[in-house]
Amino acid sequence: MDRGAIEKRLNDQKDLLTNLISKAKSNGMEQVEIYSSYGYSEDVSLEKNDLNNCTATEENMFGIRVIHEGNQGFLISNHIPSLYTSIEEAYQLAKSQSTPDLDLVLPEVRQLTNQFDTYDSSLDTMGIEDLVSFAKEALGWRSDLYDKINIDSGDFSLSKGYKLIVSSKGVMAHELGAELSASVMGMGVDGDLVGSFDYDSASGFTKDQFQTLWKKAFHNFGDKCMGALYAKPTTGFQGKVLLPPDAVYSFFLGLFIGSLNGTSLRKGKSKMAGKIGEKVASSLLSIWDDPTNKGFMGSTGFDREGMPTTFKKVLTEGVLESYFYNTYEAKKAKLPFSNGCATGGAQSLPGCGPKQLQIAPGNTNKDEFFKLPGKTLFVNRISGTKDGASGDFSGVVKGGYLLEGGEKIPVREVQIVGNAFDALNQIEAIAKEGELIGESSFVPYMLLDGFTITGVMEN
Amino acid sequence: MRDLLKECLSEESGFVELRYHHKESRSFFAERGRVESTALRKRTGVGVRVLESGTWGFASTSEVTKASIQNAIQIAKKAARLSSALRKDKIPNLPKANFAVGDFIGKGIEDFRSRSVEEKLKMVLDIQNEAAKQSTKLQSVGCGYSEIYEEKAIVTTDGADSFFSLVRPEFRVSAVAKEDGKLESGSHSIGVTGGWDCLFRSQSPSQISEEACKTAVDLLSSELPLGGLSTVILSPSIVGLLVHEAIGHTVEADFVLSGSVAQGKIGHRVGSDLVTLCDSGSSEFYEGAGGTIPVDDEGVIPTNTVIIKNGILSSYLHNRETAERFGVAPTGSARAWEYGDVPLIRMRNTFLLPGDSSLEEMIANTKDGYYLDGAKNGQADATGEFMFAVQKAYRIQNGKITNLLKGVTVSGLAFDVLQNVDMVSKEFKWDLGSGHCGKGQPAKVDAGGPYVRTKVLLGGK
Repeated sequence: MDRGAIEKRLNDQKDLLTNLISKAKSNGMEQVEIYSSYGYSEDVSLEKNDLNNCTATEENMFGIRVIHEGNQGFLISNHIPSLYTSIEEAYQLAKSQSTPDLDLVLPEVRQLTNQFDTYDSSLDTMGIEDLVSFAKEALGWRSDLYDKINIDSGDFSLSKGYKLIVSSKGVMAHELGAELSASVMGMGVDGDLVGSFDYDSASGFTKDQFQTLWKKAFHNFGDKCMGALYAKPTTGFQGKVLLPPDAVYSFFLGLFIGSLNGTSLRKGKSKMAGKIGEKVASSLLSIWDDPTNKGFMGSTGFDREGMPTTFKKVLTEGVLESYFYNTYEAKKAKLPFSNGCATGGAQSLPGCGPKQLQIAPGNTNKDEFFKLPGKTLFVNRISGTKDGASGDFSGVVKGGYLLEGGEKIPVREVQIVGNAFDALNQIEAIAKEGELIGESSFVPYMLLDGFTITGVMEN
Repeated sequence: MRDLLKECLSEESGFVELRYHHKESRSFFAERGRVESTALRKRTGVGVRVLESGTWGFASTSEVTKASIQNAIQIAKKAARLSSALRKDKIPNLPKANFAVGDFIGKGIEDFRSRSVEEKLKMVLDIQNEAAKQSTKLQSVGCGYSEIYEEKAIVTTDGADSFFSLVRPEFRVSAVAKEDGKLESGSHSIGVTGGWDCLFRSQSPSQISEEACKTAVDLLSSELPLGGLSTVILSPSIVGLLVHEAIGHTVEADFVLSGSVAQGKIGHRVGSDLVTLCDSGSSEFYEGAGGTIPVDDEGVIPTNTVIIKNGILSSYLHNRETAERFGVAPTGSARAWEYGDVPLIRMRNTFLLPGDSSLEEMIANTKDGYYLDGAKNGQADATGEFMFAVQKAYRIQNGKITNLLKGVTVSGLAFDVLQNVDMVSKEFKWDLGSGHCGKGQPAKVDAGGPYVRTKVLLGGK
């Protein structure tokens, strides 16, 4: 499957979907939207430090949304010959409801200002043989540099495809994309000692970009697994935690970002309701959403509803500046249209959320965090739970270190408990350095104070 | 469908496995007095797996025709040949297994077909409206119903030849309560393999809703427990989380081969005498467990696998490949979520066998501890270190339950926790049939058992 074949498929499908929507309109269905997601991929998987499986998959999923007098039916299918029947079924689902909301409508067309095409044709010369050679190289890194690490699973993927949205309101948008990606998961094992799981991943638009990022990711994975191998239990304490970019992004900030979702706000489930313009976090923290940066993986010119994406400030020096809306939630909030934050794909109804969060770097050199007096817990990863409404989180620290007197002591069986909204004001320092998570979101290291750390040993 | 698949295999000589899978998921959700979403998801296709030159090749197609399936077989073979040179540990021939042959039609399917969309919509809307009136502190109540209907046909060149179908309904209520700027959540959900009557056998939709709302409101006045190593009585839902997360994942044979803490422990003591742990493809004790499967995704009839017998580790969970490596019979634990997914070793219904005590005796015999109830999420590690989250922790003092505390994270080392089990109740309940287990792919599982007393690390203030 090469670029030419994918473009032909896309063009044929635009005609097909346009005709289906015309037919639906002529049969009385005024609001019909079809989101198409086509993907072809070749994969090589690893298991138990060996190659496991080679696969080739191709699928086209369609998410069909029909709105009838304020009620909505949604159907997902991968069967092209029966797409019109699926439109009718979605229509029937809408008609079977009795609780209309006339704010529920498909969006009108808006001009897209950014065109994205992340399909680098150089990937057309690559195939499963190249993925096998990447796998061979990674297994070599393991045996040469990290022979105490067991690769539980890994995956190398070459994927190509497009997304396309067509609606009865005249929305028509598409983007092609292709990428190389890889991930690895495993742990250190030394005799009877087994360390905590860890993982890492990388992706790139081109072979060179991918190989550079993947080598760095694999070595990072290896270092994290080795660091966790000889961990010991420790005592609990009250104090500081140091979060690397992964932990900041996946656990700590997730709850806050979720509370800016238009749906949570409308339903009274968000502590951030009514706080635009208010200071809700430490002045050290500034966040923005930038899906328009063409250098980032995942940047896009349109959202799940075909509306233009935009740069927007979320938090400036601790002051809240914006929420995330799709068309329905924007209408409920009395706004003229969405701010391009409809999330999801063919297999989901439009949600609300950011696309490419960026967190401003701070002024501190991250090495200073590792030399602090007293005890600091370095939280590599949290295996835990969080509650969106209250902001409470708790979990077991994985791959963690106790930083004390210049020493870095690997620890296990340590729990951390806190509240994400309180934690926004517990930020003591932000590092200059950070990482581009998923090659798309810049996140720095953060130091926070005032946490309860529970250890398995008696104090 | 079996005939089409067999026709596609008629000229094949090596090992080829064809898995047809048609899945339909329906979901209805109501909140704040209206139906918020209705969705129908349909996905159909054939997954093709071959064993060629000592390694696997896989391809899939959404076009269920002879030509398309045979093309996928050739793609899978080519993929296997291309990778064979790299694979060090070649896969020998797969062992013979207790293959399923024939049609296996699940219970409850006609029941679901006969119920209209309007009936299901009315249920979620009525329950949601009724729940919202329970307390003025309730900020939001959401009520959802979903069902997954599946049919699969699995045919291999070495003898599997089956078709099966099943339906898995779920019902859930989530509530958020607010007071003085504080927000708390409560949720309760159930899920089964079977019909409508089976789904609401032990609790009606109204009772499920009341429980979720009460939890949210009650937690408004709760505080964190004291953190540290504590004696706990676990409810069946929490026992389900414990045996699934802490033990189940570490005994999946692919994970064992990667070096999990269970490696080399067969025949070793890993729990107290009171601990007998099983994983079954059937619904033991009574019908409806959410992870029930009549046939696994390699066409093998699932067994009731005794993982730990009276504290001694006795078996891992196997697919055909790992069964060959360990020299044992496959346990029928190979499962794939979609037609485009490669089967992985997964749990089905995981449970502890009941003991002799009653819950009342267990509470009365606990001087200082906690009763934990309401399963949230959980994860396990290769080390055997697990964590799971609970909604509610009740303090037990001098043999009596006292105040409600906020549920937090519970953690421990799997085998230490089993070694510390000192009381097991007579009661038994499947209580983890809603939601999914994740391991690269989702899977419907269930877990449960009796009430159990042991020691864990409780996160707290």
